[in-house]
Amino acid sequence: MKLKRILLSALFVLGVTSYGNVANAKCGDITIANMNWASANFMAEVDKVILEEGYGCTVELVPGATMPTFTSMQEKGEPDIAPEFWANAAKVELEAAVSEGKLHSINKAPITGLGEGWWVLPATLEKHPELTTADAILKRPDLFPHPEDPSKGGFHICPPGWNCELSNRNHFRAWEMEAKGWMIVETGSAAGLDGSIAKAAERGENWFGYYWSPTALIGKYNMQAVDMGEYAGKDNWDNCLSKPEQECANPLKSSWVKSEVYSVATDNFKKTAGKDGMNYLKNRTYPGPVMNGMLVWMGENQAEGADAAIEFLKTKEDVWGKWVSGSAKKKIKAAL
Amino acid sequence: MEFFNKIPVMDRDALRELKKGIDFSFKNFSREYGDAIESFFDPLLTFLIFLEKLLVNTPWPIVIGVFGLLAWIGSRNYKLVIGTILCFVVIGYFGMWKNCMATVAIISVATLVCIVVGIPIGVLMSKSARAEKTILPVLDMMQTIPSFVYLIPIIMLLGIGKVPGLLAVCIYALPPVVRLTNLGIREVDKETLEAADAFGATPMQKLRSVQIPLSLPTIFAGVNQTIMMALAMVVIASMIGVRGLGVPILQAISNQYLALGLMNGLAIVALAIIFDRITQEYGNRIQRHRGTTKK
Repeated sequence: MKLKRILLSALFVLGVTSYGNVANAKCGDITIANMNWASANFMAEVDKVILEEGYGCTVELVPGATMPTFTSMQEKGEPDIAPEFWANAAKVELEAAVSEGKLHSINKAPITGLGEGWWVLPATLEKHPELTTADAILKRPDLFPHPEDPSKGGFHICPPGWNCELSNRNHFRAWEMEAKGWMIVETGSAAGLDGSIAKAAERGENWFGYYWSPTALIGKYNMQAVDMGEYAGKDNWDNCLSKPEQECANPLKSSWVKSEVYSVATDNFKKTAGKDGMNYLKNRTYPGPVMNGMLVWMGENQAEGADAAIEFLKTKEDVWGKWVSGSAKKKIKAAL
Repeated sequence: MEFFNKIPVMDRDALRELKKGIDFSFKNFSREYGDAIESFFDPLLTFLIFLEKLLVNTPWPIVIGVFGLLAWIGSRNYKLVIGTILCFVVIGYFGMWKNCMATVAIISVATLVCIVVGIPIGVLMSKSARAEKTILPVLDMMQTIPSFVYLIPIIMLLGIGKVPGLLAVCIYALPPVVRLTNLGIREVDKETLEAADAFGATPMQKLRSVQIPLSLPTIFAGVNQTIMMALAMVVIASMIGVRGLGVPILQAISNQYLALGLMNGLAIVALAIIFDRITQEYGNRIQRHRGTTKK
């Protein structure tokens, strides 16, 4: 009688644990935000392949952009993962959502060596090696003629609606650029901003404006960051430079705030993907040069993120091999 | 069997090389001729900047007065004049004056360019069946190809700003005026033409004094459509750096600013309605005149 009970309970335990295993292997349905810029698109596709092949999840990519995706994750808990979330855009809201347990900032440095700021093309520096600092550049508006008024210098800012549009407009005032003979070039969209750089680089013209790394353009044209001097404090940045113009009366010139990029996931992801999935996201750190290299590869081959993900998984095993468990690695390799 | 299940695909690498090749030759082309093409459009740019500065810097009562006057000349309808003035005052009151003027400037220049380019093409199409056959598919393409596709080469060639924006608008807005000019001239009464022939009119005389005047209402419907389509392109043009009502809409899209988007969107609608009613009334007036002479 006793033996029977032991056997039964043993069977029961076995059943529960194996059921657990099955559930774990199944992982479940996960949605990943496929942001509308290349590095995030690439990361989303890599995550998709690794989570599907390595951890048995069913992954669907949904189109996204920083703020709409964040709002949706916070309000509806969907999509489950934002692989490359620029946290400065919604710092307070993100912290609130994390403390409520709705969202988790799993990986606080998914890509190393990234940052925002002002950039110039290397050809400009070859001809004018002194133009490494913002102060030096601002003295030479004649070298960067504005397309609509060649007597002024053209300063390329972010497309309308991006957070950096506000900060660039405030920087424009902080550095007294109007008095120094500069005018803002409206870029209109990411394609417009990129196009203006590509056009200038291909034609050997000078270009000055805002950009960020990791990006294909930075890698492709070997763009050089401009030294913007000292960071003039958190208060100046948070309460003035990053606010709309009318809320920022006296902006101080400052270097760009340090970019904080996280991989953010919903609580649902923590539940469905479990420890393994969380560990993968935690370990997944792309070295900056590798990321820029992949972006250049995408540009040169006109590849989508999906193609780049395959290329990355095929050629850069030394990078991603460290992110995943041994069994997952085998499964992924087999799937390729 | 596999042939039926799987569509034959070009080799991945060859396809990539093909795409690269096209890009490379276009880049070379833009490096070679970009500056020349850019300077070709310089007069247009100067005119655009001039018009925008004029509209923005002139005191607003004068600008609104001129718009009211134009509305009167076009429609002879005092209700429309009051509506026009009211719309512009409201737009200004909600802080959209500058953007609205920028939009009016680019729409007016785009319409002008479309008329200057489109009507001769339409006339050519009506004269020659072969021209019609070759131009029609081009017009179809201009109207249906997603604008983002031609924005890429335009940016590479001309950079960002007003002129590329204007071109993008014109590519989309040109077809109606061409199509309707062609249609209008083809629809002119055969008997009227015979009469003109009988009086010994040369083809040029026939065109200028018979065909174009008689098809004017149709041509005007085309111009009206062109203006509407140009307004529809305002947001897209803003994506390549054209100032105007499209910029706040883009801001609104990326930040879910409902009110901002709605207000600027409605300002575009208001502009569209004003332009539409005035040109339509004008078209009707021409038609009325024709109706009386016929009787």
